[in-house]
Amino acid sequence: MTCDEFERVLPELEGGHSSEQEEHLRSCSSCSELVSNLNAITDNARLLPEYEPGPQVWNAIETALRQEGLIRQPQLQLVSPASSSPRWRFAWLVPIAAAALFGSGLFLIHRQVDRQFAVKPAVTTASVTTPAEPARNVASSADEEQILAAIAARAPAMRASYESNLRAVEAYIRDAELSAHDNPNDQIAQQYLTNAYEQRAMVYEMAINRAMQ
Amino acid sequence: MTGARKLQSDKLSEAEAIERAKQGDGEAFETLYHLHKRRVYSLCLRMTANTAAAEDLTQEAFLQLFRKIATFRGESAFSTWLHRMAVNVVLMQLRKKGLAVVPLEETIETEEESHKKEPGADDVRLAGSIDRLQLEHAVENLPPGYRAVFLLHDVEGYEHNEIARIVGCSIGNSKSQLHKARMKLRELLKASRAEKATKP
Repeated sequence: MTCDEFERVLPELEGGHSSEQEEHLRSCSSCSELVSNLNAITDNARLLPEYEPGPQVWNAIETALRQEGLIRQPQLQLVSPASSSPRWRFAWLVPIAAAALFGSGLFLIHRQVDRQFAVKPAVTTASVTTPAEPARNVASSADEEQILAAIAARAPAMRASYESNLRAVEAYIRDAELSAHDNPNDQIAQQYLTNAYEQRAMVYEMAINRAMQ
Repeated sequence: MTGARKLQSDKLSEAEAIERAKQGDGEAFETLYHLHKRRVYSLCLRMTANTAAAEDLTQEAFLQLFRKIATFRGESAFSTWLHRMAVNVVLMQLRKKGLAVVPLEETIETEEESHKKEPGADDVRLAGSIDRLQLEHAVENLPPGYRAVFLLHDVEGYEHNEIARIVGCSIGNSKSQLHKARMKLRELLKASRAEKATKP
């Protein structure tokens, strides 16, 4: 085998040589060195380092993904019967529940002060039901339905449990309100009512956490 | 809340990231990007020998991947799928620029040139370690067609049948171009070494 013949078949040789080619390599230092050089190039090619793109590359990709709507961040949505997306959060209900608790507390304190200075308690009693309260109760019911719907979407098995908890705490609130109404000067009755609102806020928070998981 | 904590990108496995990315999770996209960015970018950089072009092509490759991620079924490795996409993006770009990716069965160099032994060429030996930086420069100086086949085969590990399918040539042509690329690199490395040896 000549050097020209050897080099002609060299492109076809992938990790193996025939006995004739092996014989030629043993006898020809030039072809032997050629093969050695080519192998060294191949070996080092596999070891070439990888390079890091600049941060602007990801920034551009992320921007494009958002513009194309491919990145879908969890959105705050009201659950409607037609909505099939479970991806929404009720974190905002926690402060609303807390605000309701705080507002109720203020209302009770205010009512207690009114009662202390009231000329006609009956009038003051009649003023217990403020225009805000029905709205608050309606809002609470609507909030609860949204939370329960979110839980039903995420963890259907838990819905009944949370619904039961909410109903129980609502019953507790009604009883506490009645007690506080009948005993406006009773600090313990006021405390019970405050506790009831706190419990509702806690149930809301637990339900919201479950919905967010 | 612990579920949200688990979504930190450094704790997401590739499989988790793929599934979350299908749901539109931005953090998951970022995880996949960081897992594979170097390999894709390095390929683009070596194919184009241009940083700005490489960044654009890297961006395009990932965007194409993310647009189609919902169709990924796991029949092949994700990295393989991504890499193939990157290669296609780069080759399409090269073709748009009118650069011949792989000559169609014709040789760039004449037969004489490819088999010629220059007098004294063997005096400068490549035996021993090859300077990888010099190798990088030599690869940059390869003609685009040679460079593509060399990078795909020797650097990225594609087989000739895959290269033939990707670039649209025959297996024989792929082998021929690879051999010519290696021979050209050998020549460039020897010249570089000779130049270094003559410098004061």
